[in-house]
Amino acid sequence: MLKNATVMAVAAAAALLSGPAAAEFKPTKPIEVIVHTGPGGGADVLGREIATLIDKEKLAPVRLQIVNKTGGGGLTAMAYVVEKKGDDHTIALFTGNWLTNPLIRKEAKVTIKDMTPIARLVLEPAVVAVKADAPFKTLKDFIEAAKKEPGKLKQSGGSLTSRDNVVRQLLMKDTGANWAFISFPGGGERIAALLGGHVNMMIIEPQEAGEHIRAGNLRVLAQVSDHRLPGFENVPTLKEAGYDVPNVPQVRGVVAPPGISKDAQAYYENLFARMVQTAGWKKYLKDNQFQDGFQKSGELAKFFDEYSERMRGILKEAGVQVVR
Amino acid sequence: MEIFDGLLHGFSVALTPGNLLWCFVGCFLGTVVGVLPGLGPAATIAMLLPLTFQMPPTSAMIMLAGIYYGAKYGGSTTAILLNVPGESASVVTCIDGYQMARRGRAGAALGIAAIASFIAGSVGVIALMLVAPPLAKLALSFSSPEYFALMVLGLAMVVLLAGTSLVKALLAMLLGLWIASIGTDEFTAVSRFTFGNSQLLDGIDFVIVAIGVFAVGEVIANMERREGAEVLPVPKGLRNLLPTWEELKACRFAFLNGSVIGFLIGILPGAGSTIASFISYGVEKAFSKHPEKFGTGVPEGVAAPEGANNSETGGALVPMLTLGIPGSSTTAILLAALVLWGLKPGPLMIQDNPSLFWGLVASMYVGNVMLLILNIPLIPLFAQILRLPVYLLYPFILGISMVGVYSVSGSLFDMWMLAAFSLLGYLMRRLDYPAAPLILGLVLGDSMERALRQSLMMSQGDLAILVSRPISAVMLCLAALVLLLPLFRQANAWRVKAIEENG
Amino acid sequence: MRSADIWSGAVLAALGSYVVAEAMHWEYLGADGPGPGFFPFWYGAALIALALGLVVAAFMKGRAGEGGKPVQWNEVGRALAVCGAFAISAALLHALGFLLSFALLTAFIVCVMYGRPLKTGIAAGVLGAAAFYVVFPVALEVSLPVGMLGF
Repeated sequence: MLKNATVMAVAAAAALLSGPAAAEFKPTKPIEVIVHTGPGGGADVLGREIATLIDKEKLAPVRLQIVNKTGGGGLTAMAYVVEKKGDDHTIALFTGNWLTNPLIRKEAKVTIKDMTPIARLVLEPAVVAVKADAPFKTLKDFIEAAKKEPGKLKQSGGSLTSRDNVVRQLLMKDTGANWAFISFPGGGERIAALLGGHVNMMIIEPQEAGEHIRAGNLRVLAQVSDHRLPGFENVPTLKEAGYDVPNVPQVRGVVAPPGISKDAQAYYENLFARMVQTAGWKKYLKDNQFQDGFQKSGELAKFFDEYSERMRGILKEAGVQVVR
Repeated sequence: MEIFDGLLHGFSVALTPGNLLWCFVGCFLGTVVGVLPGLGPAATIAMLLPLTFQMPPTSAMIMLAGIYYGAKYGGSTTAILLNVPGESASVVTCIDGYQMARRGRAGAALGIAAIASFIAGSVGVIALMLVAPPLAKLALSFSSPEYFALMVLGLAMVVLLAGTSLVKALLAMLLGLWIASIGTDEFTAVSRFTFGNSQLLDGIDFVIVAIGVFAVGEVIANMERREGAEVLPVPKGLRNLLPTWEELKACRFAFLNGSVIGFLIGILPGAGSTIASFISYGVEKAFSKHPEKFGTGVPEGVAAPEGANNSETGGALVPMLTLGIPGSSTTAILLAALVLWGLKPGPLMIQDNPSLFWGLVASMYVGNVMLLILNIPLIPLFAQILRLPVYLLYPFILGISMVGVYSVSGSLFDMWMLAAFSLLGYLMRRLDYPAAPLILGLVLGDSMERALRQSLMMSQGDLAILVSRPISAVMLCLAALVLLLPLFRQANAWRVKAIEENG
Repeated sequence: MRSADIWSGAVLAALGSYVVAEAMHWEYLGADGPGPGFFPFWYGAALIALALGLVVAAFMKGRAGEGGKPVQWNEVGRALAVCGAFAISAALLHALGFLLSFALLTAFIVCVMYGRPLKTGIAAGVLGAAAFYVVFPVALEVSLPVGMLGF
């Protein structure tokens, strides 16, 4: 009898562990994917890639439609997502900005915690680049030069809360060096400033830098990454170069409006879990030198808390006013 | 000769039946998109991206580029006929173009716009082909101090846009500067003038202000009187529907001016076609023998800005193709398209993909011709819109304005802003404040402030950086000259008066 | 026209003062260069200066007897009425949808502003809305605001 009970227990456990039998949610109309940039912006391009991939591999019975909701540095898109409460056919692509921006903006009415986490998709590493004819051969050279003349060297980058500046703040704090940060709103202008010799250094995405490196215009001093990226095998990571700063990736993933059904959440989690397994996705990651940062909703929720906490600390150190 | 070989190869690519068809499709779509206010080439290209995956990249690029420069042709149509800027750069065309339409020369204005666009577009392609790499290097030497000087030069143009009251023009410009500063300050993340409203965090979109102040404001002003509301004069006969030889001759300098200025400003990443149009218009007026006629409907006032905003496309493609640097939102999405197709934009792209580059260049020649052929017969057709009795035409303009603004962001708040700016536009007309300086201030204010602050960050607070660099020093001197022009003119007028009184 | 200049000058001077006051809250000159308060301070100050100049000039011209055209208040009223109607139709967009709001606005303009019979107004409104419907959502797939009635 004990054997029977054990068999039954094992069978029952097996049935439970094999997952819910065919999730009850199936999308019946096109899924709206909210992005906070205009056409051509980072989130928009990723969204279109995802939509194309899912369509090609027939991972979903309906198509995904990109909806651009620009404005407020992401706040408009975030507010829109929360407005769509309960809508099972809406998801959104979040980036690190969605976590950081509400920390410093009084006007923000919602935060990422108000939304349903689905999955984290990519971590975008970066590299530290200087002009090829610059006197700096290693990151140490640059930092030493910065220490000798505080505030003289210049880095071009995005806004104050962008990853470029965060890495700069962390490095400056760790080494005691000081160099200026000049914001340019467009990626094109940042690279132009570096190539034109108007700034000394830039933290840039590897695929953006790739072609300029190949052409011999830029040199990479270090990588902002946990492991050495393919194509940059000879470049040390920040840790390897001796700088004990946490790796700050640009992060992107999927969230959904609050109040969607548990089945819908499970469906989307599953959808993206399948997507990241496809050869097409792996190729996309490789071509763009993104890191696979796949996390499901449970871990993602924890990640949100961790990341926000860390950013609060960094922002306060940088002298930016934190409001929540 | 390398360039000749490349071009021949390019034509062999561009003139295949398939690519000719794609070129046509792009140009046609571009024209439609340009005519409709609000809907821009960037959004259209984004919508069509999924379709392009089935096509070879060269064909796809030919089509998308067709949309890009085709839109510049279309933008002038609603600007001239309805005072609705179809595209931000068409704002300057509204100034003289709409006045020409009101005086019955709508067809001529549309024709001049098309011809100027064709000449400038072709010049832009030729320049792209001949001087792209060395000019790209030159463009890199432009940085914040030079941008600042350029913006100051642009703002100095307000003097030339002033009309009767310089004080009111300056006040309008300052108002534009204020509107431009609404939003988030990107250096310090401080919000300015947002009244706690998150929808104002990114500032007020230019399209909303332009359509509100120009188009809707004009309609409201026209509705003051019921009697004056007859049909606008639409001349009959082909002769009156196209520009006369005198008009074309008068535009000789404008064609050149627009082409050159547009292309040069297009090369600079970040400087847009609106600035190019304004500066080209200002230069045209400065060198004109009858500057006081500008604003009442002179053909050069249409030819210069229209040419500038077309050759700007050629210019913007220079950094995009030679360095992989986007200069505007449209070139940003074209770059994204290249990446999505598996190509690697950057300094080596032309080397690695000569067919793409030369095929694109050759197709741009073809495209410009196609667009000219497409647009000229459409002129009489479009001009017929003016036949609508005003009580139908004006609601139509209002409807188009609403759709145009809605298609930008889909927000109700923006519609409120549109209504508010239309009230502003009406008040400005009533009180004799010129609208063009407002737009100038709005477009340039942000960039100018940013460029100044970036420059001072680069020099660690030393203002000398603005004059120690040759290019920015030259431009600042030009700006000073422009600003002193009214003084010269006034001194000259006094001198003439004194001579008359004595003689 | 003179008194209009005085009023508009006064309003702009007030705006300038507001801008300068706000600018004082922000950093004028920071460690890295001008702060967010720098530009607003200066153009705000310029606004005040020029606006007051305008007011003074208008005053002097008024005293010198150079009158302007008298204001036709009924004309202004018509214009403001249209502006109001436009604002209302914008407000109603989410409730009634574009097609209906536009039709109503057209009817208003045709009938009230131009005194045509009600039939013409309604016909114009319906035809106009239909034209927009055909061109935008159908031909170009540009979605128009949809109201509570579903269109």
